[in-house]
Amino acid sequence: MAKLWAVIRREYLERVRTKWFVIVTLFGPLFFGGIMILPAYLSVRSMREARVADIRILDATGSGLGARVAQRLAAPTLQGPSPTTAPVDELRPAELATRESELIAQIQRKELAGVLVLDSGTVASGAARYAGRNASSVGDMEAIEGAIRQSLLTARLTSAGIDAERAETLARVRVRLKADRVTDEGLGGSGLANSIFGFGVAFLLYFSIIFYGQAILRGVLEEKTTRVAEVIVASVSPDVLLAGKVIGVGAVGLTQQLVWLLSSVGFYTQRAKIFGAMGIEGVPQVGLPSVEPFVLVALVLFFLLGYTLYASLFAAVGAMVGSQEEAQQAAQPVIMLLVFSIIFAQPILTNPNSRLAEIVSWVPFSAPIIMPMRMTATQVGAGEIIGSLLGVLLASVACVWVAARIYRVGLLMYGKRMSFATIMEIIRLRRSD
Amino acid sequence: MTTPALEISGVTKRYAAHTAVRDLSLTVPTGTVYGLLGPNGAGKTTTIRMILNIIAPDTGSIRILGVPHHAASQLDRVGYLPEERGLYKKMMVRDVLRFLAELKGIDRKTADIRIDEWLERLTLRTEAKDWGKAKVDELSRGMQQKVQFIGTLLHDPELVILDEPFSGLDPINAQALKDTVVELRRRGRTVIFSTHLMDNAERLCDAVCIIAGGTKVLDGTMAAVKGAHAGRTIALALESDPSHEIRAILDDRTLVARCDDHGRSFEVELARDADAQTFLRQLVSSGASIQRFERVQPSLHQIFLERVGATGVEPGMSGHG
Repeated sequence: MAKLWAVIRREYLERVRTKWFVIVTLFGPLFFGGIMILPAYLSVRSMREARVADIRILDATGSGLGARVAQRLAAPTLQGPSPTTAPVDELRPAELATRESELIAQIQRKELAGVLVLDSGTVASGAARYAGRNASSVGDMEAIEGAIRQSLLTARLTSAGIDAERAETLARVRVRLKADRVTDEGLGGSGLANSIFGFGVAFLLYFSIIFYGQAILRGVLEEKTTRVAEVIVASVSPDVLLAGKVIGVGAVGLTQQLVWLLSSVGFYTQRAKIFGAMGIEGVPQVGLPSVEPFVLVALVLFFLLGYTLYASLFAAVGAMVGSQEEAQQAAQPVIMLLVFSIIFAQPILTNPNSRLAEIVSWVPFSAPIIMPMRMTATQVGAGEIIGSLLGVLLASVACVWVAARIYRVGLLMYGKRMSFATIMEIIRLRRSD
Repeated sequence: MTTPALEISGVTKRYAAHTAVRDLSLTVPTGTVYGLLGPNGAGKTTTIRMILNIIAPDTGSIRILGVPHHAASQLDRVGYLPEERGLYKKMMVRDVLRFLAELKGIDRKTADIRIDEWLERLTLRTEAKDWGKAKVDELSRGMQQKVQFIGTLLHDPELVILDEPFSGLDPINAQALKDTVVELRRRGRTVIFSTHLMDNAERLCDAVCIIAGGTKVLDGTMAAVKGAHAGRTIALALESDPSHEIRAILDDRTLVARCDDHGRSFEVELARDADAQTFLRQLVSSGASIQRFERVQPSLHQIFLERVGATGVEPGMSGHG
């Protein structure tokens, strides 16, 4: 046991001490945090940058539409002390072109954020145009569009004989209805959050298994090519060495993911402060996926078993080959098994209860990636999860058994690559060989 | 009599295509330096790997210091320097050594003290520079050999097994190795080393075992082995290049079993039934002017050639005897 511990500690410390580990572990969260915060920050900023009220409206409709739009634009910006409504120039269609070009010149000189032009056709067709520095801000454009839509609606209702006050109320109701639809999407969005989480889990598992599996392969190959393996197996059995390697590298992976997880949780709970510090009011609502504790436990088990399964296969590949180039080639079949799993992720995510999904989450090689995705994305029966876990467990045991055999022999076979026939022979051999 | 350091009895190892070691038995007394000799491909490395339980024999048993070699912690009493040497390149020297010691059941504290001693002894730690803190691949090849060497002996093993220890060593390290072997012997440790270089074996070994083609050819103490082959080796030196007649005599297989030809001097091994006097008479009657004619103790090299010959090397098995 002390020797196994020594092997584990070496594997762990030598990897954790590398620059790469530190960089990936520390900068990973910064990077992911960055890509989460930045878009939110930018969109909020651009929204604030040019208040939709800071524009000028040219109204050539002759119906007072401009004033209504201005009022509505002022209404939704709830922050800050009563915002000024955008000034409205009511003019005749003939004067429009000259005034518009004047204002655009002002925008160029940054004296004005933008200009909204409502021409004679706007009331009938709903067509309007906007020019401004914030034209690429989706939020601003939506706000302006919404304001025009509602103003037009009120105008049309009024012209249909409904009195102005009533028309206004009716339009308001429409606004709220629209908001309801958004919330409705939000409700579906909780499912969406789970879906994204499921895919994230699948991808993280895929990435970790491939990353740490390859690390094991390289480790085995290093011991083989530097010949240090022979000294070690003269002290401990190859099985202990293999076990120590798999556990040690696995612990490195867990350490990294723990750091990531903690920093994510930290970021999530502190997000109000972080956004506040960046000058963003109003925390972007992040829908948290709902995951049951049972699923969480199963998730960890799937990771551990899936990792063990693939790690032992990668170790066997490392023991089979004699150089980095050969390793690339020989690892292909193992990597294909993983790629095959992730290829199915997309179709299964869109239809998590299909026959394909069920089959793929029973195959032990894809189950460690697909099943965790399905269980987080949708409801999967406990029986199915446990059955799939048992399948992966059995497959892991078989893989470890076969890999340990190949490893024992391959570790000391220098210079030549094992043929398939040799591998079959090794597998059939007595354990002692 | 004390327990032998190593007892191998009736060990056989077969592979699909060939038998690497066939019914090998040998005993290494404690406190001796023992040479495992044989041409490349003779089965030396296979034997050593079986002793270390790296590969399992098909039949037979191996006991180290009186205990079966697969018993728990038994291999902690053995130090091993493999023929193919190497260390973790990116690791700090001290960490590698500590790791190797831990694998032999030495705790870190003890290991650290011994590492310092050894590094100083082999001048890897001086006032100016502590190579223990360097990474392995920053060391020269010779220094890496020293580190490997320390790794073999750090746990103060009772039995030290060195596989082709002199291959690839620079003269300074080779001398250091010889000194260490002598020192180990003085301290009552047992050293087994394999080699195909007879000079080293002859100088260092108390006893030898010659194997070829996976089979034992002979074993015994150096004195016994030499004694058994004495009297049939003649050192011959001529004053001029040998004539055709003399060549014919040297090539006469009823008279001369083998002749190590150095031009004008020869190490002649007489055929089994031949007589030295007859050989001398024939040489003289052929007109040879003899400078030296002397019965000598055969060199280990000579014995090796006599007993193993050119046929001892199994074809297609190079490198890992």
